[in-house]
Amino acid sequence: MTIILQQLVLGVLIGGLYGLAAAGLSLIFGVMKVLNVAHGELIMLGGYGAFWLFALSGLDPFAALVVVIPVALIGGAILYWGLFGWVVRSHEETRIKNSLLIGFGLGLALHAAAVQLWTADERSITTAYAGTVLDLGGVSVPLVRLASLVVAFVLIGGLHVLLGRWRWGRAIRATADDWEAALMTGIDVRRAYLLAFAIGTALAGAAGTLVSVGYSISPSIGLEWTLKALIVVVLAGLGSMLGTFVGGLMLGVAEACSAMIFGGPYREVVGLVIFFVVLVARPQGLFAK
Amino acid sequence: MAAGLVVVAALAAVPLVVARQDILNFLFLVLLSIALAQSWNIIAGYAGQVNLGHAAFFGLGALVTRTLWIAGTPVLIGMVAGALVAVGFALLIGGAAFRLRGAYFAIGTLALSEIFRITVGNTLAEISTLPQTTIATYRLANRYWLALALAALSVAAVAALARSRLGLGMQAIREDEDAAAATGVGALKLKLIALACSTGLAGLVGGCFAYYHISFYPSHLFSPGWTFDAVLMTFIGGVGTLHGPVLGAIFYVFFKEYLAIRWVDFHLLIFGTLFVAIVLLLPGGLVELMGKLRGLLENASLSSGERRPRPEHR
Amino acid sequence: MLHVDSVEASYGPFLALSGVTLEVRAGEIVALLGPNGAGKTTLIRCIAGLLRVRAGQIRWDGAALTNVAAHRIVESGIAVVPEGRRLFATMTIEEHLDLGAFAPHAQAGRAQRLEEVYTIFPVLRERKRQPVRALSGGQQQMVAIGRALMAAPRLLILDEPSLGLAPRIVESILGVLGEINRRGVSILLVEQNVQAALALAHRGYILESGRIAGEGTGAALLDDPHVRRAYLGPLALRH
Repeated sequence: MTIILQQLVLGVLIGGLYGLAAAGLSLIFGVMKVLNVAHGELIMLGGYGAFWLFALSGLDPFAALVVVIPVALIGGAILYWGLFGWVVRSHEETRIKNSLLIGFGLGLALHAAAVQLWTADERSITTAYAGTVLDLGGVSVPLVRLASLVVAFVLIGGLHVLLGRWRWGRAIRATADDWEAALMTGIDVRRAYLLAFAIGTALAGAAGTLVSVGYSISPSIGLEWTLKALIVVVLAGLGSMLGTFVGGLMLGVAEACSAMIFGGPYREVVGLVIFFVVLVARPQGLFAK
Repeated sequence: MAAGLVVVAALAAVPLVVARQDILNFLFLVLLSIALAQSWNIIAGYAGQVNLGHAAFFGLGALVTRTLWIAGTPVLIGMVAGALVAVGFALLIGGAAFRLRGAYFAIGTLALSEIFRITVGNTLAEISTLPQTTIATYRLANRYWLALALAALSVAAVAALARSRLGLGMQAIREDEDAAAATGVGALKLKLIALACSTGLAGLVGGCFAYYHISFYPSHLFSPGWTFDAVLMTFIGGVGTLHGPVLGAIFYVFFKEYLAIRWVDFHLLIFGTLFVAIVLLLPGGLVELMGKLRGLLENASLSSGERRPRPEHR
Repeated sequence: MLHVDSVEASYGPFLALSGVTLEVRAGEIVALLGPNGAGKTTLIRCIAGLLRVRAGQIRWDGAALTNVAAHRIVESGIAVVPEGRRLFATMTIEEHLDLGAFAPHAQAGRAQRLEEVYTIFPVLRERKRQPVRALSGGQQQMVAIGRALMAAPRLLILDEPSLGLAPRIVESILGVLGEINRRGVSILLVEQNVQAALALAHRGYILESGRIAGEGTGAALLDDPHVRRAYLGPLALRH
């Protein structure tokens, strides 16, 4: 019984990161109808950012968030100006298709660049407290992963508040609901797009940082994390950040269950199967507004 | 048409004249890549459905062919079987997959392909190597001719399709699926036909690969890299055109080999960037670029006031 | 105040407006009438900055407004209540009205303006925390108008506000428009309900097939035989 509980807890712990990874993608897609399939590579870059900050200056990865998030914010703005901002000039269907293709190329390029710069080796951040494990009723909970879950939740909660209270947060939501009506309300929709893309990228960077400390990173994790994020976005639907977080937890738990029933190697498959089934059967997702 | 036959004949003569294995290997890769790219071109360039799970069909063809061939079946029969399995699977999931529009179809097919890769990786984890007897009688020339035949077949298939009623219907769907459906074009049926042609050809290409490569891990046959290669080649060359995938494949393999000498994987950085540039700036790829250059040269060589209209050809 | 001068606009190859000229003077209510597909919404979209003007000019207070970005047009004092209301599906009444004052110039005095909107539409005050999905058609129309009013417009443009609403509600909304006009806001009203629109408006224009087919005061148009035959008589297309 404890073993089952243990697996479920571990599933929840990583599920929080799935949710964070998905939140950024969901925000961008919901607002701009742009599907950045290089989102996973951005997560990967965030992870490497934290890794090198730690390796070169000893900066604690959780503290590194204070650096990674603003840098990713700016990076997102640059990506929007340089790349995805051009895609929004088309109609929705073309927009989705083109952003898919551009994200595809970008992802390949970033992956290859990472291999060139940092080799294909796996990296992980091992802090002084990395080995600390809490014992909660017989279940071992690695402190680092628990802290990551909390941070992920706080970030998503913060995003939720931002979208609800901040003037531009509301503008972003309005743009997601009806961009023409938003324009007619005096909202500079292009600026809303820029903000959404920057924030989404910042969340990816944060997710990457958390992945590098609790788990491991390598140049190849991009595709894997993009798929995880997509699965959660499809599962949860668009429009609710908290719903996306819960969707992430659900994926984590589903993977844990699948690993217990079918064996470890099939952990990834269940997510992909869920993805396909939900896409075909209930495309709007579970928690869509 | 005649020019094409001459080219094919010339290429067919190569192994009789050239003995160097590395040149033959290189040409083999180019020819196989042309066929792979054209196979993807059918579903994405002509029917407008961006299929990111192409590797699944390549892999199925390769796996079935390899298994049958090693067990004693003549390789050509094995390849046909492989292609049939690929098509069978495509039609099986096609109905469900095509309910997804646009991007969802793309990532849905990618998900399916990944499911295959992981499952195969778990169930067939051991490396597949040709038995010693087969290696002893291995003739590269045979593989070369097979690849040549597939490349020629793929180009001919796309040429025939583009002109046919089927092909025009597919292109109508590519341009505007709703409008096409409204005019009575049976969208689902056409998409399935396009998918069948595309995946059948991909299965044959996979089969040829299984015939060629001495040893590999079965899961590698389903690696998304195959899909990415096909996408890159087709787009860089010119998606939706007849010559695009050919140009793209030559360009891609050449540069990949050239860049691989210096840096591993660096070619992906360049191609990824190039790909993005093409999507944004030159969607017609190399074909469009060549057309523009030709137009510039023609206009430059004519005296002012005398502009010959360019002949229409597709 | 608003001058539309020989404006042409097209959707792809289809020319929707082929030289439209009209104006809205300060303090007026101007009605824009015409059959379906005449180009009324197209013209509104041009003024709102959502559709490119191919030829001609739009001037507002003397300044050129042609092809200016849509959100800037709001900043210059024009607010649009679009056809079909176009509310934000995930938001409450309160959030709509708050967003209405998004433009920088509308930030000042927003509390007071909010009060005014709640005074004009008391039912919105009662239900301000409710999501707009839960409201009736008439109430949604009120939200749309309220949202536009929060932008402190000097010109309010409404595209088919009566569409899909019961006659009693239409009456009350048009009455509200009169009240808004008396408070100093000019109004450009696109309407299918010709009778009610012309009764309310000072002047009107008839748009047919992308060009102005008639203009005059509200009363004059009501008496005009062509108008009567096409839009008011028993043979007129009823919607």
